Amino acid sequence: MPHSHITDAPNDHDAPMGHPQGAEHAPSGVGVYVLVALGLVFLTACSYWTYTPFWPFGDNLAIKRTWMMAVSCTKAMLVIMFFMHLKWEANWKWVVTVPASLMSLLLIIALIPDIGMRMRYASHERLTYAAEQPEREAADKPGTAKKPAEHPVGE
Amino acid sequence: MSDHPPTHGHHSGLEYQPAMPLPNGKLFLWLFLSTEIMFFAGLIGAYIVLRFGAPAWPSTHDVHLVELMGAINTAVLIGSSITVVLALEAARRNNAAGAKGWIILTFALGCVFLGVKGFEYKAKIDHQIYPAVPRSAIWEKADVNYAAAVRLRLAELKTPLIANQKRTEEENQQLAVIDQIIMEIDAAEKAMREASGSDDPAALPRARQQLLLLADKIYPRASLHEDHGGAAHDGRQAPAAEHEPAHAVSTDHPQVTLVDTEVTAGEADHGAHHGLNDQHPWLKLPIMIPGGNLWASTYFLVTGFHAIHVIVGLIAFACLMPKTLGVAKAGLIENVGLYWHFVDLVWIFLFPLLYLF
Repeated sequence: MPHSHITDAPNDHDAPMGHPQGAEHAPSGVGVYVLVALGLVFLTACSYWTYTPFWPFGDNLAIKRTWMMAVSCTKAMLVIMFFMHLKWEANWKWVVTVPASLMSLLLIIALIPDIGMRMRYASHERLTYAAEQPEREAADKPGTAKKPAEHPVGE
Repeated sequence: MSDHPPTHGHHSGLEYQPAMPLPNGKLFLWLFLSTEIMFFAGLIGAYIVLRFGAPAWPSTHDVHLVELMGAINTAVLIGSSITVVLALEAARRNNAAGAKGWIILTFALGCVFLGVKGFEYKAKIDHQIYPAVPRSAIWEKADVNYAAAVRLRLAELKTPLIANQKRTEEENQQLAVIDQIIMEIDAAEKAMREASGSDDPAALPRARQQLLLLADKIYPRASLHEDHGGAAHDGRQAPAAEHEPAHAVSTDHPQVTLVDTEVTAGEADHGAHHGLNDQHPWLKLPIMIPGGNLWASTYFLVTGFHAIHVIVGLIAFACLMPKTLGVAKAGLIENVGLYWHFVDLVWIFLFPLLYLF
């Protein structure tokens, strides 16, 4: 069987030609990996920063959450590209990862109407046994205690 | 597979590809990871929509979740990710001893992660914060049902003590504590009964304050006392602007004011975060955490499945350890490493969602 130049190994420098479409060589040595790890630790500290008194944007939860999700996505991309070597893989990587990611997104969106919005039109029974939380507490939390008018009874 | 068998000596510029341009093991691993992406997306997505659609959600400190622990575990997992890639690099250079060393270190870091996670689980379980059948010890609000549950638990504790004719001094003290709590429940329920017959619409919410006070005395939620603890212990009154009404979704006139109740509870406890269940661990009274049941279910589900994946990864590393991890095993190390990086990837999203949001 002829040699098929599989370039899944980042240091596969002995492959002279014929790399699969989109595949490239990874840099040799561990320097890149160490740099990426340091970057990940730094980004973790960036997430934790929102929880410290040094966070400059006050208690605005929207800014905090947007920041934290941006940091998490950056960390995830670093892990996927460098540690999981997808940066140097051929185009098959899109076939495997994109459909799964799209299905995941669709799954979450599909949960929103029945699960995420379940308290918008709730039954008497559900409201009777629902949790209650003081408004001042709820003001800066995601689980908001809505006023009765915001909880129309739908059943 | 290609439809055309390879022929020698022609199309010298082209190259025969027998299948996907990657080893079968790696292809399998990536297909498995694509199913794992959907699996964890389902779990994390369910957590997100359940949480943001919930009428109430506990703060991290209400449920004994420590942000620093989560940050430490994140650093541990990131550290284990780099040791895996270093093991792979060593194996590719045919440095079997080096690869084995990095794998052992990865295994150790994974054990540290599980140890920290176990420590965190213990804090929840010690405070009865876990899902249970037919129901957990967590109640969503301090209402008559909660009072009945507390009364039932006290009766369970009191009956054998009463039956015992030769009680020790310690048992007599336990009995005194139980009687004191029963008196407080009696007073609260009496106030509720009187208020229900009253024409004053504010009477019932006022009476419910006593139940809220009792619930706070049993399990003082950290978020309340972090906000008001200073006022409670300094002897200062909370500002009037903070006296906001609490909302009870189940009642028509839910004008319960919690702030005074919270401050009083802090004074009564002589310690903002030390409730009756902490002072008397044998009590194990039902606790009131709004949104606590859903929190416990989703937290243990998501982190539990992640922990199972960590355990599977550790088993894989344990299987690698006895082998000679030279260049021939580089593919195997890479596949196990891919799985381990995915476990790290999931935690990267779980940490802010569970600990910081």
